[in-house]
Amino acid sequence: MVFFVLIGVVPFAAALCYALGYSLGLVGVINEGFTTRFWQEVLVSGAFFKSFFYSAAIAAISVFISVSLALWFALQFREELSRKTLSFLIYLPLAIPGVVAGFFTFQLFAKAGFFSRVAYHLGWISRLQEFPDLVNDQYAIGIILTFITIVTPFFLLLFLNVYKNERVQDLSELATSLGATPWQVAWKVSIPVILHKTWTLIGLYFIFLLGAYEVPLILGQESPQMLSVLIIREIKQYDLTKISEGYVVAVIYTVLVSIGAILLFSRKKRKANEI
Amino acid sequence: MKFNWKPYLLTLLVLLILFPFVYLVLLSLASEWRFPQLVPSYFGLRNWTQVLNSETGLLESFTISVVISLSVAIVSTLTGFFISRTVAYHPRKHQLTLLTYFPYILAPVVFGACLSFFFLKLGLFGRPVGVILAQFLVAFPYALIFFSSFWGEKTKSYEDLVATLGGNRRQSFFKVLLPIAKGMLLICFFQTFLISWFEYGLTSIIGVGKVQTLTIKVFLFIKESNFYYGALSCCLLIFPPVFLLYINKRYVFNKLI
Repeated sequence: MVFFVLIGVVPFAAALCYALGYSLGLVGVINEGFTTRFWQEVLVSGAFFKSFFYSAAIAAISVFISVSLALWFALQFREELSRKTLSFLIYLPLAIPGVVAGFFTFQLFAKAGFFSRVAYHLGWISRLQEFPDLVNDQYAIGIILTFITIVTPFFLLLFLNVYKNERVQDLSELATSLGATPWQVAWKVSIPVILHKTWTLIGLYFIFLLGAYEVPLILGQESPQMLSVLIIREIKQYDLTKISEGYVVAVIYTVLVSIGAILLFSRKKRKANEI
Repeated sequence: MKFNWKPYLLTLLVLLILFPFVYLVLLSLASEWRFPQLVPSYFGLRNWTQVLNSETGLLESFTISVVISLSVAIVSTLTGFFISRTVAYHPRKHQLTLLTYFPYILAPVVFGACLSFFFLKLGLFGRPVGVILAQFLVAFPYALIFFSSFWGEKTKSYEDLVATLGGNRRQSFFKVLLPIAKGMLLICFFQTFLISWFEYGLTSIIGVGKVQTLTIKVFLFIKESNFYYGALSCCLLIFPPVFLLYINKRYVFNKLI
């Protein structure tokens, strides 16, 4: 138990206390004592809220599209995907880390990237500038595309496993024998069973994407930035007076993520107890 | 007759999966590939031979990445396995598990930034051992959560049986529990290896550019706009996990099922 507290609890508590102390002016090279000035500055400037809603929107859109795609593939191709070669191939995207996925998306969708060259040779564009902004763009298209590429394979594997373990096939056959149409089987049986079993992990992935760093660092724009990029930019900048504001954002982010975890897992526990 | 679109879509899916691997290998072999050329002016092994013979430090980065990831994977798998038993049988199991989730779901780079002061004070900043410790703090909660499903009524009854037959706790661990958990230990080892292998943000904060793992190198090459070396580093980064996935799937999953 001592080891658990030392490794699992103390570092997190220490990190949070240090960030809180810095944000309140209690620690830090040029801070002179307790003040709520940094909190007021962050809350008034609105930079945090802008970054938070921007990150939440990107994470929500990416998770929604990934879950939808993975559900569709899992329900349409479950037999084909269990064959020997394909069952290995669908694991391959898991070997691609965020930094490589970001680099790859940049190589494909940048103005001088692969698709821009293809568009030029097809005669769709005559100059490099005519290719649309798909990376470092204001709608975060590059970031969302990369997140979908990273997350969809994971959800696909998860849903295929749940389909097998929860005997969704048997339930679907039973529903069909009772007169349900394929559409009803999908929407009233298969999808609810799969989502019911996996919603905690879906919620977790939303939180992971909310705090993603590498992909928005490569494919994001200057403003607004995703949360982790904003926090690190503030903490690591040369203007020492701004570091405390970075820690304010870090504390708010940590508290929000912790509340998210408590909500996710307390509900999960309650459901488990009900069963 | 109804048109069967499934084979075409499956082919497209396979092509989409393989495309990043093929493209990155081709880019690592390319040179002088300017817009609007569809194929590069040079195509060959020049980048690879230059990297092997030059001072880019890619081979050193590969070695340091392997050492860090192996250390993180071994330590977090073993500590996660042993400590998860204490947590699983504790009366306040749910609260303790929830505490475990906090460092796990927090962005590692933010966690690292908030912890950097302590690493500086401990003299671990910019040192491989500091990076190993920092990554361990992220990989350990994963291992703990991973093994929480292993401990339950079944394993407790095995332990009780060993005790009834006169075995001590050490024998129960090494002769019964470890052999049962072999498959899970291997999967956890692979997963924590990958967590460490793929880590960038935390490594950049604690390593302060002095501990140059492969992910750090990829970023450096991107900043320098040296995309060919960037692609080459990406190849070094993604093919070892492909090999691990193959081993995982071929020898671990199949035996577990």
